[in-house]
Amino acid sequence: MARTTLDLSRIPSRERQLRTPSERGRRRDESLFRDRAPAAWRHVDLVLLMCTAAVSALGALMILSSTRGTDPDVYDLSFLRKQVFFLVMGVIGMVLVTLVDYRRLRDFAWLPYAVGLVLLALVVSPLGTEQRGTQAWFQLGSFQLQPAELAKVTVVLAVAALLAGSEVPLRVHRVGLTLLVFGVPTALIMLQPDLGTALVFVAIATGMLLIAGARARHVVVLTAVGVIAVVGVLTSDVLETYQRDRLTGFLDQDGTDLQAEAYNLDQSKAAIASGSTSGKGLFEGTQTRLGFVPEQHTDFIFTAVGEELGFVGSATVLGLLALMCLRIWRTAQIAHDRLGMLICVGVLSMLVFQIFQNVGMTMGIMPITGITLPFMSYGGSSVLASWLAIGLVLNVHMRRFG
Amino acid sequence: MRGHVDEHRPRLRLSIVAVVSVALFASLFARLYDLQVVGAGDYQVQAEANRVRTVQIPAPRGRILDRDGKVIVDNRVAVVVAVDRSVLSELPRARRDDVIGRLALDLTGAGNPVSPQEILARLEDERFNRYAPVPIAVDVPEELKIYFDERAADYPSVVVERTALRAYPYGPLAAHIIGYVGKIDPTELAAHQDETAKPYTLNDEIGKTGVEQTYERWLRGTPGLRRIEVDAEGDPVRVISERPPRAGDDLVLSLDVDVQALAEQKVQQGLADARARPNRDGTRNAATKGAAVVLDPNNGQVIAMASYPSYDPNIAVDGFDAAEWARLNDPVNHYPLNNWAIQGQWAPGSTYKLFMGYAALMAGVMAPDTVFSDRGGYLIPGCSGDPHCYRRNAGGAAYGNVTIQRAITVSSDAYFYNVGAQFWLQRERLGGEEALQTHLRPWGLGDGTGVALTSEASGRVPTPAWKREYAERVDGDPDWRTGDSVNMGIGQGDVLVTPLQLANGYATFANGGTRYVPKVAIRAQAYQTDRVTQKFEPEVAEKVPLPPHVRQPLYDGLVGVPVSGTAVRAFSGFPLDTYPIAGKTGTAQVDEKSDTAVFAAFGPAPAPRYAMAVFLEESGFGGTASAPVARALFDALSGVVPLQPAGPNGLPVGAAAPLAPTGASYD
Repeated sequence: MARTTLDLSRIPSRERQLRTPSERGRRRDESLFRDRAPAAWRHVDLVLLMCTAAVSALGALMILSSTRGTDPDVYDLSFLRKQVFFLVMGVIGMVLVTLVDYRRLRDFAWLPYAVGLVLLALVVSPLGTEQRGTQAWFQLGSFQLQPAELAKVTVVLAVAALLAGSEVPLRVHRVGLTLLVFGVPTALIMLQPDLGTALVFVAIATGMLLIAGARARHVVVLTAVGVIAVVGVLTSDVLETYQRDRLTGFLDQDGTDLQAEAYNLDQSKAAIASGSTSGKGLFEGTQTRLGFVPEQHTDFIFTAVGEELGFVGSATVLGLLALMCLRIWRTAQIAHDRLGMLICVGVLSMLVFQIFQNVGMTMGIMPITGITLPFMSYGGSSVLASWLAIGLVLNVHMRRFG
Repeated sequence: MRGHVDEHRPRLRLSIVAVVSVALFASLFARLYDLQVVGAGDYQVQAEANRVRTVQIPAPRGRILDRDGKVIVDNRVAVVVAVDRSVLSELPRARRDDVIGRLALDLTGAGNPVSPQEILARLEDERFNRYAPVPIAVDVPEELKIYFDERAADYPSVVVERTALRAYPYGPLAAHIIGYVGKIDPTELAAHQDETAKPYTLNDEIGKTGVEQTYERWLRGTPGLRRIEVDAEGDPVRVISERPPRAGDDLVLSLDVDVQALAEQKVQQGLADARARPNRDGTRNAATKGAAVVLDPNNGQVIAMASYPSYDPNIAVDGFDAAEWARLNDPVNHYPLNNWAIQGQWAPGSTYKLFMGYAALMAGVMAPDTVFSDRGGYLIPGCSGDPHCYRRNAGGAAYGNVTIQRAITVSSDAYFYNVGAQFWLQRERLGGEEALQTHLRPWGLGDGTGVALTSEASGRVPTPAWKREYAERVDGDPDWRTGDSVNMGIGQGDVLVTPLQLANGYATFANGGTRYVPKVAIRAQAYQTDRVTQKFEPEVAEKVPLPPHVRQPLYDGLVGVPVSGTAVRAFSGFPLDTYPIAGKTGTAQVDEKSDTAVFAAFGPAPAPRYAMAVFLEESGFGGTASAPVARALFDALSGVVPLQPAGPNGLPVGAAAPLAPTGASYD
């Protein structure tokens, strides 16, 4: 249905030639694995792939810099090894995701979504592990799994499947159903509690509903409800006091009392700013090597970039991330159907929000919430989820002709 | 269908997403630029301050040499046992207590008694730099270093280092001029907080007295600086840079150790002799304190400065212990830490007559050839009905008709009583009630000489104003009377001088009227080299007008003293014809005590090289007690008797008299 709304006249003639009914029919007859046709692989978005790979590699390097220990001449490689392992897993996951046509994925999109919900429910049960007041992890041997990270991708896929065939503009009950699909995992995440990741879901929901054709007034009402909800959370007892302080701390940066969060932000800004224009050089950052920035290899990895590579390096990283987002946006634009477009917008919303929130937090323009910088932060779940998301976008991109 | 497309317009909505995304990225870029390009400076300072801690490494002090380069104060290497707190804090509690306990036991066994509690208290003292080991015992036996070095594994956190301590090759020689060093106290630290070239930290040593204090600027070394990188927990990671400490400058004193040793010995001996010699009235001299000063009248340099009683500066190394400190400050021991050559104030007695004679001639109270009839005493004009109205000469001798020259040689009191009286009686004509004092002050009397030693006393030139003020403040007669001027005539009454003042007054006369600021140091030079870093040039305090018609009779009078005057006995046998000496005895009366014996002189008189003053408290006649001390010094200075080199105990013979135990009586 969505396909029929596309204006074929705007597609270049060579591409239109390929999109003949017979060709489409032939495709449909092919088996799942035959679908891995060379034709699709020729349309892989190499720019997106390169950007993602570059940012991931740089992230791994910065993780090494921030975890190698304080001795300037000794390098502890343990975190780097693990991150490389996560990246390999992420790339494998991405490849697997691109193997299956996203339109086929739509048919069983409910399955990963349901698995995600179960995991989110289990993680707040005694099976989950608590760290710093948030129960968000499963301890699997020496590895940890954070289901909320993977749930972001499964929700994007499920909501895209749900909305792809919806009537435009969206009816109220459709909007309600969508909110329910978002709301259940978000509520489970708030039980951990992890406001940061919950806000990522809000961002994804906003972006996808907007693109799916929600009425303007619905979007406005939802935004108002969202703001009230956040204020409500901040003023209620859902969060521990220190968690609330963390979130609101950035509003009072010149406050003299150096509590943990203020210290965190202060050291974070000192690391980035002291890098100045050209940075202190790779592995030369003292804030980084000497451990002045807490959680640097995870949530505050951008501070290592800022300190060691300076404005040149961090602007380049931001530029690569921006280019990545541009390519995803472009994929949304040229997607073959609404499903593809919604998947891309969901991933785009997730990434833009996380990048802005994470990088903004390290520079003191956003509150400190525990969400990762996609591709760069240390952590298997985050890396895997980010690469799976890119896999979905690549999937849409390479199959944009049908 | 088309209508729906129009209404929901995905491309428009995608543009909204694009605009929002671009806005978010743009704000990130803007903030990044703001932090890293605009505001980097402050944060770079903060990041650097985060990671760097500095530790000062103490530098050796400069040495102190005599004028010929003989080392009076040296540095020696001492062993320091210290504890590294960063290592200690890593140990389990039981192990920590064990190490501290055994350390206390070993140190106590080696003669440095210390308890585990004392060690722990020291380790908790936050004034010690966190990144340097805390010294527990200084100057422990070398064997202990070997012991700890060999058992490093049994004594984690125990560090054995070396440090420089003061060493005194000549023992107690010149202890008062040298002074001593000690740990800086909070007051001194505050006073030196702006010192940037050689900054102080709380455990640093600083000169406390003597030239160690006044030449601190040169003697103090430049501390080394170790920059340590620390991690977020404040634990040291590595040494970033190290500037080695630089030793302070050597200080070359004007003292001659051999003359100094002789002066110290002779003062001590002079006092001992005075104690042994009964007075005419059968009383005994206490002879408890004494001082002698030898100056070069041509530049004001101090050749020797002896003060008795003295102390051994070795007891000040690494701090006085409490018992020692109590003994040094017990009145029974006459304050050995005081330098009586500059802190002692005595009536100068007849040595003052040089300055009185000068005043008389300059003011025209007397002419050089004025003859005065000395009948053995003086009746104060306008005074009657009081036995004190008639003042007898010392010993009651009558010298007959004397001019000023003869009055000095024989020390005619009557002559100078009259000078004093006339200044007061003719004050209207002579320039007011301070007519006399005006002629005394140019000699530096009544004011500190400005020598670079602390706690110098100023002496006193009494005036009517002073007397009024004193009567108001303390007690007594507020009015200046003729008798007060009469007393001043012979250096008695309320007149006070310090030995250095008197010596400097005679040096001024000796060189023709140039009064120098006495100097104890000649130059500073780079540690253990000859490279001069600072010269301490002679400094003229005042030019005293001294016309020949005034100087000559006074000079002749002084030169006559050892030849035919009051010091004949003391200088018998001295080759005065080839080495004339101009001198003056003084015997100052003190109520209910023996007289202060004084002698001031310079020689060789026509071309003076030395000026000196000797004070022996409660020791009897100047000519009997003090003149022999000066004679002994002139014997050596003139080469008549070979000058004995100073020995390791600071004296040519014998050592400083041992201090009496606290509470002992002395008489």
